[in-house]
Amino acid sequence: MWAEVRNLREGIDLGTPPRDGAPVTLTVDGVEVTVAARSSVMLAAAQARRPVPKLCATDMLEAFGSCRVCLVEIEGKRGFPASCTTPVEPGMVVRTESPHLHALRKGVLELYLSDFPVREIPDGWSEFHETLQRVGVTSHPYGAGRNHLHAPVDASNPYFLFDPAKCIVCSRCVRACEEVQGTFALTVDGRGFESKIAASQDQSFMDSECVSCGACVQACPSHALVEKSLFPEGYDRAESAEA
Amino acid sequence: MPNPQKPEHSVITTCAYCGVGCGFKAETVGDRIVRMTPWKEGKANHGHSCIKGRFAFDYYNHPDRVRHPAIRQSIDEPWQEVSWDVAIAHAAAELQRIQRVHGRASVGGVSSSRCTNEEIWLMQKFVRAGLGNNNIDNCARICHSPTQFGLTSTLGAGAASQHFDSVLQADVILIVGANPTEGHPVFASLMKRRLRQGAQLIVVDPRRTESVESAHVKAAVHLPLRPGTNVALLDALAHVVVREQLYDEAFIRARCYWPEFEQWMALVGSDRYDPDVIGPEVGVEPDAIRAAARLYARGPNSAIYYGLGVTEHSQGSTGVMCLGNLALACGMLGREGVGVNPLRGQGNVQGGSCLGSWPHVFSGYRFVTDPDTRNTFEAEWGLRLDDEPGLRLPNMFDAAVAGTFKGMYIMGEDPVQSDPNQQHTIAAFRQMECVIVQDIFHTETTKYAHVLLPGSSSLEKEGTFTNAERRVSRVRKVIEPLAGLADWEVTVKMMNAMGYAVHYDHPSQILDEIARLSPAYRGMSYDLIDRVGSVQWPCDAHAPEGTEVLHVTTFPRGRANFMLTQFVPTAERTTDRFPLLLTTGRILSQYNVGTQTRRTANVQWHGEDVLEICTDDAELRGVKDGDWITLSSRVGAITLRARISPRVHAGLVYTTFHWAESKANAITTELSDWATNCPEYKVTAVEVVRAAVVPARSATAAQTVGAPS
Amino acid sequence: MSGIVASGMVMDPERLVLMANQIGDFFAPYPPGPREEGIRNHLRTYWDPRMRAGLRALIAEGGVGLYPHVIAAAVLLDEPLRERKGYYGPPKPPEI
Repeated sequence: MWAEVRNLREGIDLGTPPRDGAPVTLTVDGVEVTVAARSSVMLAAAQARRPVPKLCATDMLEAFGSCRVCLVEIEGKRGFPASCTTPVEPGMVVRTESPHLHALRKGVLELYLSDFPVREIPDGWSEFHETLQRVGVTSHPYGAGRNHLHAPVDASNPYFLFDPAKCIVCSRCVRACEEVQGTFALTVDGRGFESKIAASQDQSFMDSECVSCGACVQACPSHALVEKSLFPEGYDRAESAEA
Repeated sequence: MPNPQKPEHSVITTCAYCGVGCGFKAETVGDRIVRMTPWKEGKANHGHSCIKGRFAFDYYNHPDRVRHPAIRQSIDEPWQEVSWDVAIAHAAAELQRIQRVHGRASVGGVSSSRCTNEEIWLMQKFVRAGLGNNNIDNCARICHSPTQFGLTSTLGAGAASQHFDSVLQADVILIVGANPTEGHPVFASLMKRRLRQGAQLIVVDPRRTESVESAHVKAAVHLPLRPGTNVALLDALAHVVVREQLYDEAFIRARCYWPEFEQWMALVGSDRYDPDVIGPEVGVEPDAIRAAARLYARGPNSAIYYGLGVTEHSQGSTGVMCLGNLALACGMLGREGVGVNPLRGQGNVQGGSCLGSWPHVFSGYRFVTDPDTRNTFEAEWGLRLDDEPGLRLPNMFDAAVAGTFKGMYIMGEDPVQSDPNQQHTIAAFRQMECVIVQDIFHTETTKYAHVLLPGSSSLEKEGTFTNAERRVSRVRKVIEPLAGLADWEVTVKMMNAMGYAVHYDHPSQILDEIARLSPAYRGMSYDLIDRVGSVQWPCDAHAPEGTEVLHVTTFPRGRANFMLTQFVPTAERTTDRFPLLLTTGRILSQYNVGTQTRRTANVQWHGEDVLEICTDDAELRGVKDGDWITLSSRVGAITLRARISPRVHAGLVYTTFHWAESKANAITTELSDWATNCPEYKVTAVEVVRAAVVPARSATAAQTVGAPS
Repeated sequence: MSGIVASGMVMDPERLVLMANQIGDFFAPYPPGPREEGIRNHLRTYWDPRMRAGLRALIAEGGVGLYPHVIAAAVLLDEPLRERKGYYGPPKPPEI
């Protein structure tokens, strides 16, 4: 019971929560895998050791389906469904790689990259950086444009900071604060390009209802939310952003 | 922003703060700990954490750390740094001298709930084998000793019947005298998951805490009773259960003794405990009492979670028995989603309880007066043991004041700050001739010590902790002990210096010894824990990988018992001079007496203890938010800042005990639980007036946060 | 609380009386017989021998302030035939 919490494993992120349920067998990239009913295709792929690249999905949180990176091809189904929000069916045949899928993922990641501090790509080790490396995206074709690279860093909390320049608005922090911690201190404020993560009534983290549990920091895939203790030299924005 | 530094190594260990015992990965660069991240496979926390374990670990290399042993002839002299060997030889010689002059029972020891199981075990072994008496106690004395007494009397086992995950199967959650949102936050998050799914919540607490109402969570019933009236209220709930025949007869006939139940039914079913009588007496609506009782009895799965708001009373043990009786009457035991669960406060206080760090029992709550148990210990340890119960910690202080208790070896405890009636505690220490304190920082108690031995934090040693779920997990060494020795090594040296030779190559051998001598730990070993992650006792031939839920088919004594729980009001009464009632508690960011958390950036959230008072009581006294006030009781007076708070109602005030400067225990009284002497921290008659003189100490935290690690 | 403490005593007589009476309060609802047995067991199991001696000394001087059933229970401490292992649980009639 309660596989969502009890079947988590260190060292592997299944993408969506494990489930309890009758076994369902499907094939991912030719590998047969059996998972519990109501598991996602993303989880099945991870279990089959054919993990799908992802950004807004993590196995401690329910699927959200916003980043559009985890697309797959499923035989008999049209289009390119997001593997995180697609439940497994018996006998499903899933393909995680194809030229089409690669092009789609590359397109999405290049868009993310167009609003991200480029100087910090080479040495980064966050999940976002790993996904970029995995898909083979190192640059984007867009020129300079509107971006969030000058948005102010919120360093009010003594233990962690929030740098909106690196935020990809995947909402993992918001969902972690709701689902894991239960404090509901964070929201996504605004829409479209204006979307940003806000604490309580758009206050600093320290002034908000945040109880500093660190669940959002743990969930953030891009080091936008990150522990101050990982910056022995301090954390001033070293360089100004550039396109 | 530059990229963050990537940690090089990680070690899986267990948090040393509260009784949830979260699994963490301690990540390092070189020999520096750079962060603690929650372990997804931690069965207590499932990848979650709170502000303390996650971030407040910097204290471990704070400049204030005690790094050298020291001794002094009298407490008025300065400390003289010496080597380990000199300090330990001196301590042992002093204890032996005192015993020769004042008798074998004139010395004793206290173990620490922040130290490992192995270290607690060695401490009680030091007292029993090294000192030859049973004057060993642990800090559960002042928090959950009534849990052990009350639950063992009724159910047969003095520990939580469930694991934390069991709350995910509960339909009704009854919280009594606890505020999990602040005291056990990671458990509270799990509980809130279930509440958001539709489980119902009943809260018995004088204050309107966050556990009563917070984002997407609201208690169906809140019973804001007057402090000191738990047993009256709980008996009133029982009254409704018996009078409306909501009890589970099949369960009682199968698992308990029907004649005992009838005796209990007669007591609680009497008119004395009718909600219409008790309601006004305790300050809650009679219909709310009925609603709560019906909700709990109906279930189908009702779980009780309780804390120090039940135990720290003169009827603490009786209150715990009431909870046991209620669960038995309604059949809420022996499966997932139910149970009676004490929320143990500290990382290893359950360990201290299980391992016999008590004056009257060995490990597994087996009496020192029982020759069979004593024989097994005597055979293993190779000497005769004292067969009489020893002194409890408060009684050690009484005896010190009376002049018959002269020496103490204290590991990781600060009685001067944490024990009640501070003047009495200080008077006791002043009478002692040799106080040996082993701690990581100077504390209020080290001011009265003669030997100072550097302690080691949980990041600096190997061992195990037992959390509130009876779960034994590994504590793994992340860095070397700052002063050169881990706590267990120091106690081994102390035993040898007292003339009782012991040797262990590794703490795993100590757990092996515990396993040989303790039925509940019989199958435990480091190998097993490494293999399965953690093990909940009992772990034996019947349950080789541990036991998640207790009392499934049988109770430890076969059947369970109903205890008669008559309400006896506390001797502490409000008077014209002291018309308000003070109750105390914890806050999320600080841990207990703040020895560790005051030395971290957590002080930014809670830089001082304040007095929470409601608008009406404050206005009556001309007190505004932020004013300095004098809080006085018949025992003493302290100065605090006032905070107008909606959490407390008229007649009730509240404060925390995390800062030594506030001296919260200068005003708590000598009253205590009838069975265990657990102090009645939760009920003190007080008065609040505007302070005549504003204290010199600054408004914000005086402690400096250490250099970045 | 301060009071004259005889040598060998571990605490103030007032405190001993308070603590003993508190135990008496708990066992009061039990029928006579088990009630005294329960108090006696509790004292034997949980009180340091010097505390028990202190209580007996108070009773020898008249037991002022102690409940009668507490006095009756403390007297049972001296009966050697009742010596047996400690016990958790509700008071039961004494075994013969």
